[in-house]
Amino acid sequence: MPMTRRDFTRVVLTGSGLATAGTLTGGLATPASAADRLLVVQWGANWIEVSKQITADFNKTNPTQIAWELHSGGAAAVVAKIKAVWPNTQYNVLSVWDPVFRAMIKEDWLLPIDESIVTNLATIPDQFIQKNDKGQKMSVPLSTAGAFWGYREDLLPGGFNSVEDLLRPEFKGKLCVPYPIGLTGLFIVSCALQRGGNEKNAEPGWDLVKELASKGQIGMIATNNSEYINAMSSGEYSVGFWNNGGWYATAKNFPVKLKNRMPDNKSFLYNEGFCVLKGSPAKAAFEFANFFAEPKMNELYNMNLGSGPTQPSAKTNPMLADWYYKPDELSKYAYFADFAYLGSVMNEWNARWEREIVPLVRRG
Amino acid sequence: MTAALLWPALVIMAPLLLGPLLALGHESLKPFTSGRIGGDDAGALTLANYAQIAAPEYARYFLDTFRVGLISLAFALLLGFPMAHFIVRRAAPVTRRLLIGGLVGTLFLSIIVRIYAIAMTFGPNGPLAGFSRMLGIAPSSPDGAELMVVLGLMNTTLPLVALTLIGTLQNINPRLEEAAMSLGAPRWKTFFQVTAAMSLPGILSAGIIAYAFCISNLVVPMLVGRGSILFVSNLIYFRFSEVANFPSGAALSIVMMVLSVALFYGLLHLVRSNWQEAGK
Amino acid sequence: MSGLSISKRLADALFEAAYLSLITLFIAFSVIPVIVAVVLSFDARSFIGPFPPKQFSLRWYESFLADSYYRDGLVTSLILATVATLIATIAGTLAAIALSRATFRGRAALQAALLSPLVVPNVVLGFGMLIFASRLGIIDGMTRLIMGHVLITFPYVMRTTAASLVGIKASYYEAALSLGAKPWKALAQVTLPLARTGILAGAVFGFVTSFDDVGVSLFLTDAYTFTLPVAILAQMRANLDLTIAALSVVFIVATVLLIVLLDRLAGLDAIVGRGVYGR
Repeated sequence: MPMTRRDFTRVVLTGSGLATAGTLTGGLATPASAADRLLVVQWGANWIEVSKQITADFNKTNPTQIAWELHSGGAAAVVAKIKAVWPNTQYNVLSVWDPVFRAMIKEDWLLPIDESIVTNLATIPDQFIQKNDKGQKMSVPLSTAGAFWGYREDLLPGGFNSVEDLLRPEFKGKLCVPYPIGLTGLFIVSCALQRGGNEKNAEPGWDLVKELASKGQIGMIATNNSEYINAMSSGEYSVGFWNNGGWYATAKNFPVKLKNRMPDNKSFLYNEGFCVLKGSPAKAAFEFANFFAEPKMNELYNMNLGSGPTQPSAKTNPMLADWYYKPDELSKYAYFADFAYLGSVMNEWNARWEREIVPLVRRG
Repeated sequence: MTAALLWPALVIMAPLLLGPLLALGHESLKPFTSGRIGGDDAGALTLANYAQIAAPEYARYFLDTFRVGLISLAFALLLGFPMAHFIVRRAAPVTRRLLIGGLVGTLFLSIIVRIYAIAMTFGPNGPLAGFSRMLGIAPSSPDGAELMVVLGLMNTTLPLVALTLIGTLQNINPRLEEAAMSLGAPRWKTFFQVTAAMSLPGILSAGIIAYAFCISNLVVPMLVGRGSILFVSNLIYFRFSEVANFPSGAALSIVMMVLSVALFYGLLHLVRSNWQEAGK
Repeated sequence: MSGLSISKRLADALFEAAYLSLITLFIAFSVIPVIVAVVLSFDARSFIGPFPPKQFSLRWYESFLADSYYRDGLVTSLILATVATLIATIAGTLAAIALSRATFRGRAALQAALLSPLVVPNVVLGFGMLIFASRLGIIDGMTRLIMGHVLITFPYVMRTTAASLVGIKASYYEAALSLGAKPWKALAQVTLPLARTGILAGAVFGFVTSFDDVGVSLFLTDAYTFTLPVAILAQMRANLDLTIAALSVVFIVATVLLIVLLDRLAGLDAIVGRGVYGR
């Protein structure tokens, strides 16, 4: 090729305004004199908007330069990209959720969180934090989020009281559900809980999904937030199972009722947050994560996302008052899935979905 | 001299063609452990990944891909041929320039942008939402999703088909049509038995290129297939991006590649042995 | 006799109606989505609601301008498409000329192999290239992207150039040789100018293919190097707001300008060609 790789990189970096003094392949070479530079992976839309806002504040006192990349698809996609080049990845800080934390801890890619720098970790409840086999803390949880059943109240005044109700004829074609990999199989786990199973005994769940599919109840299978939000906003589909981010965006424009207190089912709670990849400028990365974990910033962050803060002193978005549980409700309505186990069966569940469910939906 | 001209292409293209092929072939034979990312480098090579996709349910996805592609292609040819004919034979110079400009323009317009526009136009809230109902298809049903995929693929291949056919029609002597009509042949007969018949090689070669484009598409089913219309490309991408099962994705890739190459070179061979100028 | 001519006239009228309605449908299918995108880009609502919108605003244009993400993607896409098309055009043109003259055994097979990326799904090419590049230890996004994009643009250039060479008689080139021209000179001064149209058309197709590609790029982009379509897709998947409609309009305007420019510089007919019986 007529140009060297280095030339190309420089051309692109300069062209895109990302070039900094002497750094060509971020994360690999860090000149001592210049400020550190971090590449942070974040979700788009509300997530990136609020993150940029907080970063502007962060840069008032800290010279570390922050470059962003957006998740394109599920957060797991970035894991595959890292794998292809490991250990030469350019990423430093990743915003992901529990199952992806588990996958990366399993690959041994993460730095244990340095609590002497991330001082704000001390006030975050310990059960939110992901740990490795040695018990070291590996994540900085920023949000409590969840996956729930719900519906558009304006389109379905009667609603439903049980997932079993959704088998009734009036719900034909009205359901929008996640692709099994989306939400790491929680949709199938929810159906399993409905029929007395759980993630490790998922067979009853598959049976219920098959019933829903063969009756033509499932009108759409969404693979990401935007598809879900649009499906729900269009009015073509009125019932769904999705994360609070998707419900929050829908609820901004339409009346939404979450069915998070059904007598015969449970909803899922999990955490989103930051982790730091090995090979990153550790001090800068931890300072950055610590800034986001500070109670005021944590409040601002989650206000904009429609998620629950992880700092007990941070206020929750009033719109969500009914969405999350009071401490005494937790055991009754919340289910904490074993994401390490779910991660290990995703491949089979994906293949099974392709073989057994999609053909039924297609026919329905 | 000939060899000297060929070298740059060989030096550049040989590694780019063979490298990925060999890498995919090797990856497709690696064992995969669920929950891990990518194939297991240490494990013994296996055919298990091929065995898994040999399940009859997967044949459906290949059939769906080839079938939906064919429907889209048929519509693209049905609309594209009269348009090309109009531009070549009937349009005044200004109209001709405008139409060709429009065709090249749509070709330039990002496919994502076009699919997005189609989703908004024919989607449940779009101004043409009634189109699918007119055909007796509920927009929110899986058949509605298939219709959207067909519309999306047709829209992306229309300019390609029309521009290729313009080239073909320009090389057909208009005198032949005039002669047929002056001998009393009706318009439609002339159109089908002279113009269309003589364009057959061009139609076939436009069709083959457009078909290759349709069945390899990832974006259209991804954006408007609503999860119930999935092409093989989507299955491959899911394996890469969502479950990190590289070996299975590689095995699907190899099967799809073998099928596509066999299909197209088979078709080309068939076309070439019947019509000499086709498929160039 | 008169009965026959009436039925002939009726058949002609029917044919004409079908012919014109197919052309109308073609235009409708191509133009209406564009109009819808333009209108929606001015929609004041924050979700995609019933058409047409009742309130209008420029908010999506503002959010588009405020976001450097698309701009970064555009710059990468332009550099990538230019470099890939340049490499593919030089190599592809020479190969097309060589193959049009060559008589060695295996010529057809070689040609088929060089054109094969046309029929292999882009996803397969991108996935294979990612694994290949990581085996070679190539982790730089731009290098990987250029490798992938040369692979997909090359066949377009070679195919179109080869098609344009069919009409150019080898005897012109031989005549130049017999008049004492050196082979390279004969090539540069006789064959290449005659094949100009084909090469230009091939390069344009190649550029568009590269600029518009998603299937290959999705696998090969890295953190700092992502193409415009990949950037748009990431945004769409994160949250489908109407910024993309605004971007579409910018795209449409740029495309129109480009077409006008192309028409002025080369003439659109140079790209499409006028054919043997051109008017």
